[in-house]
Amino acid sequence: MKLVDCIYRIAKRPAALIGLALLCIQIVAVLFGPLMTPYSPVEANPLETLQPPSLQHLLGTDVSGMDILSRIVYATRINLLISIGAVGAAFMVGVPIGLLVGYYRGPVSGLIMRIFDFIQAFPVFVLGLALVSVLGQEIWNVAIVLAILFTPMFARLIRAEVLSLRERPFVNAARCNGATDAVILFRHLLPNALTASSVQISISIGMAILLTAGLSFIGAGVRTPTPEWGLMVSDGAQQMILGVWWDSLFPGLAIVLSVLCFALLGDELKTLFDPSSVRRRR
Amino acid sequence: MKPILELQELTAGFEQDGEWVNVLRSITFGLAENEILGIVGETGSGKSVLARAIMGLLPGNGRIRGGDIRFRGKSLVGLKPSEYRKIRGSEIGLIATNAKALLDPVERVGNQIARVLREHRGVQWDLAKQAAIDLLAKVGIRDPAERAESYPHQLSGGMAQRVIIAMALVAQPQVLLADDATLGLDATVQVQVLDMMVERCRQLGLSVILITHDLGMVAHYCDRVAIVRDGQIVELKPVSRFLAAPESEYSRELLESAKPKDSEADMPGFEVRSKSAQPDAILAVQQLTKIFATPILNRFVRAVDDVSFSIDRGETLALVGESGSGKTTIGQCLVRLLAPNSGKIIFDGQDITNWTEGQFRPLRRRIQIVFQEPYLALNPRWRVFDLIAEPLRLLLYRDRKKITARVHAVLEMVKLPISLTRVFPNELTAGEQKRLGIARALATEPDLLIFDEPTTALDIRVRAQIIELVRELQSRTRLSALYITHDLNSVRSLAHRVAVMNRGRIVETGPTAQVFSQPEQPYTKALLSAELPIERPAGTEIAQYEYNHE
Repeated sequence: MKLVDCIYRIAKRPAALIGLALLCIQIVAVLFGPLMTPYSPVEANPLETLQPPSLQHLLGTDVSGMDILSRIVYATRINLLISIGAVGAAFMVGVPIGLLVGYYRGPVSGLIMRIFDFIQAFPVFVLGLALVSVLGQEIWNVAIVLAILFTPMFARLIRAEVLSLRERPFVNAARCNGATDAVILFRHLLPNALTASSVQISISIGMAILLTAGLSFIGAGVRTPTPEWGLMVSDGAQQMILGVWWDSLFPGLAIVLSVLCFALLGDELKTLFDPSSVRRRR
Repeated sequence: MKPILELQELTAGFEQDGEWVNVLRSITFGLAENEILGIVGETGSGKSVLARAIMGLLPGNGRIRGGDIRFRGKSLVGLKPSEYRKIRGSEIGLIATNAKALLDPVERVGNQIARVLREHRGVQWDLAKQAAIDLLAKVGIRDPAERAESYPHQLSGGMAQRVIIAMALVAQPQVLLADDATLGLDATVQVQVLDMMVERCRQLGLSVILITHDLGMVAHYCDRVAIVRDGQIVELKPVSRFLAAPESEYSRELLESAKPKDSEADMPGFEVRSKSAQPDAILAVQQLTKIFATPILNRFVRAVDDVSFSIDRGETLALVGESGSGKTTIGQCLVRLLAPNSGKIIFDGQDITNWTEGQFRPLRRRIQIVFQEPYLALNPRWRVFDLIAEPLRLLLYRDRKKITARVHAVLEMVKLPISLTRVFPNELTAGEQKRLGIARALATEPDLLIFDEPTTALDIRVRAQIIELVRELQSRTRLSALYITHDLNSVRSLAHRVAVMNRGRIVETGPTAQVFSQPEQPYTKALLSAELPIERPAGTEIAQYEYNHE
């Protein structure tokens, strides 16, 4: 009954349909990428460098002669892995911190919030460069950088919700029913505080894809020949002056569509979770 | 006499998911000059929509679908917005609920009133301002010139309501619509505001439509009354005839619900109590004081000031007083949501004042509270079953079967169907939510139950049902209860003793009947005289009009 309701509501919204379709394409690319691509994403072919799009290489080849389509498809794995992994880690860490900081207001909570201020005030790319130069240019390090960046965001969202929820009478009512702090935190406050941050997950994944690409572009991300969208755009940009437009255009489009997908889904989730859109019984 | 405002077969509704839902169905009545018509209905009866329809202010996708509204013989339906604007505020004025939200927060109230006059009468600014100040004086605001320079947040609720009334009167409209104009005000303030408003209207010869759910108000101020149900007028007749002989079943039910129940002597549990010679107190409160500090003003408020009282087993003590008198604070101190600054709380012979939360938790099973706003006190993401089961799980048993049995038992006790266990609180009506709140408090079979304003903001019939429910619990379970309320009418029906609070202190205590019939303190007298009983006050019979348009 509820599922049917959900499907019906989604079907009426074109933005949701586009978002879901793009998500499906990405999932297919992640799962069946190697089966669909005729070329290896990391093997150079000096005989076929910088070929324009043709039937053989649908999106052309890059400076090392690697097939761009294959690289884009493979890169979906790495990009989504980094983004989803980073956002997931940030969510798992940020939510409990936000919950505790919102509920127990004290000097420690204040200190944690100031640390978050510091992280968020720091220029993203400078932080990225610094961390990657210390930790090394590995994809996991990019994910860690992003996770550190996103943790304060989730913590703040949860904290803001908890600050208003903890004053609501149902929390007092729970206390009168013998609830301990743990019961109040995890059974009463957490479920009510999660809506905003659940929506934020999808939007954050989009942002993470963009930031991964950005970090790679400035050389603080993964290293060639690892297929990664931002890196491909960066490498291709050097050839742009020679009239080689396909080398950075197509990975760029992949970034645009992927970010668009998660942004659309985030927006749709927001409307779906909106309590005013839930029908009353009578 | 020709009516000044006439509604003919008015039908209006809203579009919902592509379908029309009629909220008003063939409403027909006339309003004579200098008449006060009461319109009474429960939540959802369409009485507020009626006021908006007359003002041409139906919200959202609402529309008038049939019938006519005539003002001085001229139809208002289908009027151009610019023409309607000339009538609103100038010919027909609206006084709505929640005055503080209606005033512009960033403009001085005097200017807001003056602006209405300038808009409709083209008066010069300083003259309009002077008129506003004069009117503020007439609606009973002290230092009107000074108050006119105030911003809305600097006014109390009662004063803001007066400002709204002044704003409605300033352009001297012919017809005034008062839509629950005094909802949420304290009883003493409500009577002052209504007295003033009705007096002004009588002086100026205005016609008034008084929309309310309070039959006492109708009995006191109105000439005729219309009972509205499901968007239709069930009954329309002069008030004295209505009170003497309501025609329809529904009106009779409303009238019966609004009257207080029998006197103290036939109250459940009363005999049992008077027979036991040695009363033993379940709760004794001694010299309780709670001080709140307001950090910005650096001031201290004694919300509860040296309060002592006790409650015997099987006894219901009512704590009455106006908002801000500290009665809710006492309730919260008793269940340890607040810590008192000094004084003692003795429960069942034990001094529990300084117990730690851990020591106190097992005692929560025995002291339960029913919260004021039922909906807010229920976690919106929990189903009814879990809401009631929570205190059982946390305080009593872990056995799923026992919990289920007990949940079903208390649901039955408060007369809610067991089928509701899978439902979320926002799917319940206000009355059902109140019952759910009571059911949850009853779940652990507490020795002392605290009711915090159980009858506020409820419709007449629902309120009567809740009172009936409490009375039944008293007779079935020998309940000991602290009943916190400002609804004196309900106190009559179910409290053995009453304590009157004013500004944090108990000014008078005694058996309910005694306090109500022979109040000793001036404050108690004032509180009682602010009640509007559902009887025609003697000597206020107003000349009846002849209506030949029906």
